[in-house]
Amino acid sequence: MRIEISYKFIIGFLIVVVSGVVVNLVVPHLQIPPEFQQFFSVTCALVVGLIFGSIFSRAFTANIRRLTSAGDQISQGDLSEDIQLKESRFPDETSDLANAMNHIQKSLRNLVGDIRGISFKVAGSAQNLSGTSQEVSASAQEVARTVDQISKGAETQAEMVEESNRLFKEVAISINLVAKAAKNVAESAHQTVETAKSGSEMASVSLGSIRQVLAEAESSSQQMYNFIGQLQRISKFVEVINGVAQKTNLLALNATIEAARAGEYGRGFAVVAEEIRKLADSSTISANEITDLVEGIRAEGQQVQSSMGQVIEEMESSREAVDRTNQAFSAITQKAVGTQTKANSIAELSVQQISSAEQITRAIDEIDKVVSDNAAATEQVSAATQEQSAAMEELAQSALHLSNLSETMLQIVKQFKLAEEDQD
Amino acid sequence: MALTLIFTLEEEVYGLEIDAIQEIIEEPALHYVPRAEGVLTGAINFHGQVLAVIDLPTLLGFPGRERDHRQVVLTPEFKSLVLTVSNIQRIVKLDLTTLQPPPENTQGRAIRGVAELDEMMVKLLDTDEIINQLENQYGE
Repeated sequence: MRIEISYKFIIGFLIVVVSGVVVNLVVPHLQIPPEFQQFFSVTCALVVGLIFGSIFSRAFTANIRRLTSAGDQISQGDLSEDIQLKESRFPDETSDLANAMNHIQKSLRNLVGDIRGISFKVAGSAQNLSGTSQEVSASAQEVARTVDQISKGAETQAEMVEESNRLFKEVAISINLVAKAAKNVAESAHQTVETAKSGSEMASVSLGSIRQVLAEAESSSQQMYNFIGQLQRISKFVEVINGVAQKTNLLALNATIEAARAGEYGRGFAVVAEEIRKLADSSTISANEITDLVEGIRAEGQQVQSSMGQVIEEMESSREAVDRTNQAFSAITQKAVGTQTKANSIAELSVQQISSAEQITRAIDEIDKVVSDNAAATEQVSAATQEQSAAMEELAQSALHLSNLSETMLQIVKQFKLAEEDQD
Repeated sequence: MALTLIFTLEEEVYGLEIDAIQEIIEEPALHYVPRAEGVLTGAINFHGQVLAVIDLPTLLGFPGRERDHRQVVLTPEFKSLVLTVSNIQRIVKLDLTTLQPPPENTQGRAIRGVAELDEMMVKLLDTDEIINQLENQYGE
């Protein structure tokens, strides 16, 4: 049965009062001299008051002490034990206070446990964070190294690009030279063509002249042949004349013989026969002279003809030579035209190459720019990485700090003594 | 003075009196005669008569030389023989009074004698001797 402390005090007070009254009532009935009756009553009242007072206060202060010691324990962080008050048939506000303090202790215990758990978790997280930040830092360093390599690579690239640019400029110069040379070649080929054409024309003219001369020589040769034919006809006539002369001579001889046989009558006839013989002889001589002349003319004619033949042969070979020269000129012209065409196409291609080379140079410049941009970007990345690294360092330090803080918190929380099973 | 036909053999000049000559003919067709040998070279047809042809150069010791395309037909008195000669020149008048005996080495070669004509020595043929030699050789 719950009785509040004020009621307990009232009850005690009432008991003391009642006991005084009772003692006053009881005493007359006792064989106690009256002069001691007053004294006895006061003494009894004092004893009863003391006893009750002491019992009450003792019971009251015991609970208070227990509560105080429990408060001390809590204040010292010992949350392990619940506050147990003496079993009382009449609990009062102290048990309420004990219950409340137990509630507080329980809440504190939970709070500390939670704090400890969270601190552990925070410490773990901080360690994790630290580890992660170290990893990130390592990664950042790796990135920084890589970026450094990229930067070096970019430098090399830039150098190579510069070298490429220089080389391409040289190539462009070479191509220009080639184009100029090709133009010169084309010009030379053109001149060659012109020269060969004029040579060919001259050869054609020569050929024409040679042909004309050849034709004339051939016609002269033909004329000479005809002439020799005529001479042969003369020879034949002369032969006929010769034959006639010989026959005449024979007739004259026989006439002389006949005249001699006729004797004196044949004398005149013999003279005529002699004259005829002389005529025949001079005919023969003349015919022979003609024959000799004709023979000489024929020999000379043949010589002329053979000379003419030689001339014709030489002319023919000259014609062939000129023909070959003409052909050679034609071949030269063809070749030179081919050379000109090729040189022209080389020149055109060179021009194209020059524009291509310029495009390439421009592209290389672009590449150069990109490489520069890359280098700048790389530097930015490097800076960012460094910043990141620094941030990570800070983060790591923060994590360490956090870890320390959580450690400190744990240390603080360890001051609290929890239940045995909660202790680590 | 006697009319003589002269012809040359090599450097030598020979003469043949025209009294012995019937006719001078030109390139008659020569017919082959069986068993003909030596100076007898064949036969020709002369106005229907078959006449024996005698190679005079061979007879005179100049075989294998040029022959004139004309041949001399002798009179029937001299068996109408046909003489193949070389280089018939002409008919000349030969003064037989200046005839001199033939040189020693030509003895027996039918030379009657040697006459001089325009600084030429003409060996005059002995027609009778020629006939005799032929008759001795061919028995006819």
